[in-house]
Amino acid sequence: MEYLVSTLTFTGITLIGVLGVYMVTGLTGLFSFGQAAFLAIGAYVSAVLYKNLGLPLPLAALVAMLVGLAAGLLVGLPTVRLRRDYISLVTFGFGEAIIAVLNNTANITGGAMGLSGVPQKTSFLLVFASLLVCVAIVISYKNSKYGRQCLALRNDELAAKSMGINVERLKLVTFLIASVMTSFAGVLYVFYTTYVEPGAFGWVISAEWMIIVFVGGVNSLTGAVFATFILTGLPEFLRFASEWRIAIYCVIVLLILNFRPSGIFGEHEISLSFLQKLFRKGARAA
Amino acid sequence: MSSLEVKGISKAFGGVKAIDDFSFEVDGHDIVGIIGPNGAGKTTVFNLLTGVYSLDAGQVFLDGKNLTGLPQHAITRAGIARTFQNIRLFRGLNVLENVMTAADPYSGYNLLDVCLFTPRKRRREKAVKDLSRNYLKIVGLEGYEKEKPESLPYGMQRKLELARALATNPRILLLDEPAAGLNPSEVRAFIDLARTIHAQFQFSIIIIEHRLEVVMELSSRIFVLNFGKLLAMGTPAEIVCDRAVTEAYLGEEETECSA
Repeated sequence: MEYLVSTLTFTGITLIGVLGVYMVTGLTGLFSFGQAAFLAIGAYVSAVLYKNLGLPLPLAALVAMLVGLAAGLLVGLPTVRLRRDYISLVTFGFGEAIIAVLNNTANITGGAMGLSGVPQKTSFLLVFASLLVCVAIVISYKNSKYGRQCLALRNDELAAKSMGINVERLKLVTFLIASVMTSFAGVLYVFYTTYVEPGAFGWVISAEWMIIVFVGGVNSLTGAVFATFILTGLPEFLRFASEWRIAIYCVIVLLILNFRPSGIFGEHEISLSFLQKLFRKGARAA
Repeated sequence: MSSLEVKGISKAFGGVKAIDDFSFEVDGHDIVGIIGPNGAGKTTVFNLLTGVYSLDAGQVFLDGKNLTGLPQHAITRAGIARTFQNIRLFRGLNVLENVMTAADPYSGYNLLDVCLFTPRKRRREKAVKDLSRNYLKIVGLEGYEKEKPESLPYGMQRKLELARALATNPRILLLDEPAAGLNPSEVRAFIDLARTIHAQFQFSIIIIEHRLEVVMELSSRIFVLNFGKLLAMGTPAEIVCDRAVTEAYLGEEETECSA
């Protein structure tokens, strides 16, 4: 039971990170290879503030999210003007730079040895509640003018500009929300594992998140949630397969790209109205 | 009522002068046409007016406000809307959402409303939705709200582009070959639609079109471009009989004309 809860907690934290990638990559079509760095920022900033400076946890969490916002602004401001492929390069560089910084400031962060002795404050319930709030915000974002405009600019940037959409600002706003959300996931993460090391936040994690979004369906939040549970949860339960996780990922991605290029869910969402429709259809059939 | 003043705009691509010192004005509640042989620079004029390309020289004023050098979205919000020659609808959004994206910049709620799920967001969303439905109704796409734009027949996609341009609340509407690819009866219907829209709204329309019957019937004045330069201007009747124009289109030949 405890094992199940801890797996679900980790999956929940990952899902908050994936939500960020969903907004940036799924909705807006920007490839950020440095998204996991925001997880690191959230984790390290909150842990150091709490442990070394004795700040109360909520305040430490808030500061960590603000630092995440500032870092997002630092990367985002110059990159939103760039072409899409360059955005991946810059965010990739940023992510690896953060890890290098963490490795080289050993007196504060513990360097490659990691930061240990953080008390466990995160519970499954807290993660679950945070997740619900984050999902609600992403749903609200997708179903607002912002989400629509993101999809529009992903599809045709020139036409989006011609419709009066401030494309650069919209990209930045989306990127910043994702940054803050992922930083928050970092806070949850460090106060659950009680130990972090820089190696846990490399580009592989960012790539994994992107793979999750793609497997789920680029345009579908339901797909992202579903794929997170399958791809993070499953290897934990199938312990024997965990060493093969990356290999399994690759096979799954290849299969999906071949047979269902738009992901499992494609553009579809499971919403309340969709379920109602399904129910009515079922009732009619019966 | 609005006035567009274009003063001596120029644009060169490498050594090719796509547009060379072109000036014109559109005043009040007018429809004007821009015609010219292929490669004359017609679409370039639209791209310069809407900020897709930057101007090498010249200035653009809308109701006295200088739009020169503004970014694309700012020019659209200032009141210049356009449609595209090769239809550019947003796939992944349905027909209604396509129109809504164009009305969204005016919807007046912010990120805080989104994150806090305020009633204001719901109210404004509904207002934008109703507004967009109305534009769809105007162009005759009622009942297609939930369709994917790419699944619509070509003629309807053109209408959707028009509805989307209307939703940006323009003062000047630029139509880039709106009748291209339409069959004769659709062209007829488009001319009527353009008339209705023009009568219903207070803006002026500039049309680029190869189908001469569209330009001749709709516009009160026509500008003829050739190799990026203004070749002739005048009423449709004057243009038909203009020697330079016929030469540009057909080469030098003796033509008879009575006007």
